[in-house]
Amino acid sequence: MNRREFAKLAAAAGVAGAAEIPWGITRAVGQTRGGTLNAIIQPEPPVLVTAINQQQPTLTLGGKIYEGLLRYSTDLKPMPGLAQSWTISPDARTYTFKLFPNITFHDGKPCTAEDVIFTCTKMLMETHPRARGTFQRVEKAEAPDPLTVVFTLKEPFAPFLSSFDCTTTPIQPKHIYDGTDYRNNPANARAIGTGPFKLKEWVRGSHIHLAKHEGYYRQGEPHLDEIIYRIIPDAASRSVALEKGTVQLTQWTDVEFFDVTRLKGLPHLEMTTQGYELFAPHLWVELNNRVAPMNDKRFRQAVAHAIDKTAMKNRVFFGLGKEATGPISSKTRFYDGNVKKYEYSLEKARALLDDMGLKAGPGGKRVTIKFLVVPFGEIWQRIAEFVRQSLGRVGIEVVLEGTDVAGWGQKVSNWEYEMTSNLLYQLGDPALGVSRTYVTSNIRKGVLFSNTQGYSNPEADKLWEAAAVATDDAKRQELYSQVQKIVVEDMPVVWLIEQDYPTFYDKKLKNVITSGIGVHETFGAVRFG
Amino acid sequence: MDTIRAFSRHPSGMIGLAILLVVLVLAVLAPVLYPEDPWEMVGRPFAPPLTDGFLLGSDTLGRDVAAGIIHGTRVSLTIGVTSTLAAVLIGVLIGAMAGYWGGRVDDFLMRVTELFQTIPGFILAILLVATLGPSLVNVIVAISVVSWPPLARLTRAEFLRLRGREFVQAAACQGETPLQVVLRHILPNAISPIIVTGSLTIASAILIESALSFMGLGDPNAMSWGFMVGAARTVIRQAWWMSVFPGIAILLTVLAINLLGEGLNDTLNPRNARSGRH
Amino acid sequence: MTTSASGAQGHRGIAVALAILGWAAKFIAVVLVIATFAFVLVKAAPGDPAQVMAGQTGAADERMLAQIRQEYGLDKPVIVQLGTHLKRVLTLDLGFSYRQRQPVSTLILERLPATLLLTGTAFLLALFSGILLGTLAGLRAGKWSDTLLTVISLILYAMPVFWLGLMMVLLFSVQLGWLPAFGYQTIGVTMGPFARMLDVASHLVLPAVSLAAIYLAIYTRLMRASVIEVAHQDFIKTARAKGLTQSRIITGHILRNAILPVVTIAGMQASALVGGAVVVETVFAWPGLGRLTYEAVMQRDYPVLLGIFLVMSVLVIVLNLVTDAIYRLIDPRVTTRATN
Repeated sequence: MNRREFAKLAAAAGVAGAAEIPWGITRAVGQTRGGTLNAIIQPEPPVLVTAINQQQPTLTLGGKIYEGLLRYSTDLKPMPGLAQSWTISPDARTYTFKLFPNITFHDGKPCTAEDVIFTCTKMLMETHPRARGTFQRVEKAEAPDPLTVVFTLKEPFAPFLSSFDCTTTPIQPKHIYDGTDYRNNPANARAIGTGPFKLKEWVRGSHIHLAKHEGYYRQGEPHLDEIIYRIIPDAASRSVALEKGTVQLTQWTDVEFFDVTRLKGLPHLEMTTQGYELFAPHLWVELNNRVAPMNDKRFRQAVAHAIDKTAMKNRVFFGLGKEATGPISSKTRFYDGNVKKYEYSLEKARALLDDMGLKAGPGGKRVTIKFLVVPFGEIWQRIAEFVRQSLGRVGIEVVLEGTDVAGWGQKVSNWEYEMTSNLLYQLGDPALGVSRTYVTSNIRKGVLFSNTQGYSNPEADKLWEAAAVATDDAKRQELYSQVQKIVVEDMPVVWLIEQDYPTFYDKKLKNVITSGIGVHETFGAVRFG
Repeated sequence: MDTIRAFSRHPSGMIGLAILLVVLVLAVLAPVLYPEDPWEMVGRPFAPPLTDGFLLGSDTLGRDVAAGIIHGTRVSLTIGVTSTLAAVLIGVLIGAMAGYWGGRVDDFLMRVTELFQTIPGFILAILLVATLGPSLVNVIVAISVVSWPPLARLTRAEFLRLRGREFVQAAACQGETPLQVVLRHILPNAISPIIVTGSLTIASAILIESALSFMGLGDPNAMSWGFMVGAARTVIRQAWWMSVFPGIAILLTVLAINLLGEGLNDTLNPRNARSGRH
Repeated sequence: MTTSASGAQGHRGIAVALAILGWAAKFIAVVLVIATFAFVLVKAAPGDPAQVMAGQTGAADERMLAQIRQEYGLDKPVIVQLGTHLKRVLTLDLGFSYRQRQPVSTLILERLPATLLLTGTAFLLALFSGILLGTLAGLRAGKWSDTLLTVISLILYAMPVFWLGLMMVLLFSVQLGWLPAFGYQTIGVTMGPFARMLDVASHLVLPAVSLAAIYLAIYTRLMRASVIEVAHQDFIKTARAKGLTQSRIITGHILRNAILPVVTIAGMQASALVGGAVVVETVFAWPGLGRLTYEAVMQRDYPVLLGIFLVMSVLVIVLNLVTDAIYRLIDPRVTTRATN
């Protein structure tokens, strides 16, 4: 490539780019402390305050700046975060957290129980819909001393302990935000948190530069001196940057699926699909259960039989991911694989449709359904094309409808669609990220990512609710196993793939994926060598 | 008759006609040549040309590139011709009103035309398709909305030229209504430059359609050449054939129409012909 | 813009001032009409921008939607929103982007240089090479080199811009490795200003050539025809008879006159050129306004869309002025003609 040529030219010209930021690995040989991590962020986040904006890139960067009370292992068990220990009362209504001593914000002020209470009961209630869902269950929050926070719930809520990661509950400085207009507070530009890295410089369209937080409360952390997140909008350029070692970390969709196999073979790179467990993105075909013939579960089951999930995984996702079997991802807690199986079988699909009385007309066509294509990029187009061809084989003619992001959101949330695809995060606990799609109480017109398909089964509703408030894990597993059987039989949506995303990192980089939120983690322990 | 004979002696025009005829035959024969739906994933993904029974290779989902190209012919020609007809209709109507009535009407209509020529056409087309939603009809609407201004200007100029002619004046004096005058006397005399410009408009309409589809704004149910190139863009390093062949199809079709249009121009409007030939 | 040939200095000044005023009034009118037009179009579309913003957070409820609508004035009647929009446009305030949380003018100014560089280079490249090649072809009309140039320009004229771009990437980047395939500059290399300039230039080659190709074809053909026409006019014969050298005749007489129609057409095509930049920027991941347009359309980012639409239209008007000025420079008759 010519890039090298131009690098040579640059050197020959003898002009030192003093103003430029170093790329590649700058650490001296044999040194395990220090150094600069170059990573990619895509697309550029609008703001870094995760309490205000919860888009993916914001969360990735904000994870270095803001911390939650807890962290979660890749099997989603709680681990110490800002809180070094926690206890739950026998009636499962009172949660007591003990904070680490000497936690400071980036502006030098201490972080105490008051900040935690302010964040959970005031600020996030205004700005963070996902956190609001959890903290509206809190009856009172108290700080008996500066290092102790006590939450008392109105009634037991088992996933309460799963809500304290840094993406759901990023602790904010009370002294900066209390009594202000959170969204328009000028301090948002400074992004003041307690994390091991603080914002040093943000050049729009180019890079975001994070530097070590010297007063970090965990001894010896962070190992790195700085992290530079580069904004590289073009996918091909991102792959090149990774290939040449100018960046040492990519995540989510930074690298396109078709490029994964090639990059995986490079000797200096490590690839993992771990570190997305808390999100566990679950992909499905959404069928509006209000519209005939999709209001008949036999039709939905026929659709499940007609789609070859393995072929879809291989052709659309280039082998990444896993065939989904039901509403709960196998990466999420309380998954039960012992449910009715819908293997790829055109005969079974046709038999179900015949059984419904949807007979094939001339040309083998039984019915025509409109499919609203999700406008988030090519992969969604391919998914739609795959579904159309699959269903066409059993006589369901699918007509694709193109739209833009706003149009999609509007049509789906107002139930003005027939079929579409959707992808939701499971958020570590079925009560947080799964039941919202299936319970009758969450059929809310105008709200995206609710029970938009309009599925309602009172028996299932009871089980979802019981499992959310049950406190014993064995009891919860039993309830979730029951509800999974019912929902898989009803097939309100047709689950396709538990999506995997590739995280690529340089082999010299250690401790990259240490938790269920992977690249969103603080990176305090990440080091070279 | 003379015109046809003259055209048959126009070499590049005849080449254009020949290519176009081949394209038309392919469009008509598409269901016979490739009876399978071009969207069907018939084989191995990423198969290079002449392997696995694929003449021109397969795409990322294992669809036949050749089948896509043959079926895409229908989409491109339909959109090209229909949107041009619509553009001619709008352009001739506006141009005729402006040229026939003159004065304030002319002033106003020409301002509007100028405005449309100031707005970058392709951006307007993107905006229209994006807001109306990508479907065949909306793509046609968008293309015709951005294609009519040159036709309006041309028609206006022809009408201005013909309006003062004696035979037109005479017809008006004999009590023919303005509509009759326009339809019987002015339009027939202005028709040949309109035909020539119209034929060239088809070529540009096909180009606009392919660019819209390339950017993901085509009808998602219509297998079109622009869509094929657009979908193959990201894998160009691995699979050149997916973008090369559909592009050649666009190139040949547009080239053929341009050649045909010029042939028509030289034979229909000899006075306008910019001839380098001596 | 007419200038009085007969008037004294004072009259001349007033005439110029009036012309500028008239032009400015027309300019503002055009801008307002375009702004209204774009506003109506965008408002007529389905889709609620509040939904987009809420949707991007992965969770949404009524309260958040209401907050966003209020924050961006989306809860006001449409006519009030239009009034606010037009008022802002006149004060050069293009509003605030929902999606990017930045002023639209900042976003556009960030992207404008890349687009200006691309369209400017392509425009000049097409114009100068077109004139050069067209002259060559015209002077050698009928010879094989003329035929070759004609065939090439015909083919270029029929090529979809995006496909030409991709084919050049395939040949010059993937196969030969001579030029970079995507982007605006090399990432991951530290370099000085001079090297950086060379670097950007190397990235500019393929996009600029792709964008220029179709116009290059048009100008070549026009120039060829024009040169042939002028070469046969009487004053050229007179010049020859006076014994002027062939090169003097070409540069002094033929070129000067033959160029005029080409410049006129070039001005008329400014808007097409700017529109073509959208496609080229998409192919080459060129970080200009064209890409911003596409992103804004997809995200229903109204303020950005309206802003770009205006800026692009203004760009076309300015390009028209530039060609007008070039025309004046070349053609001495234009001022006297205007007084008729």
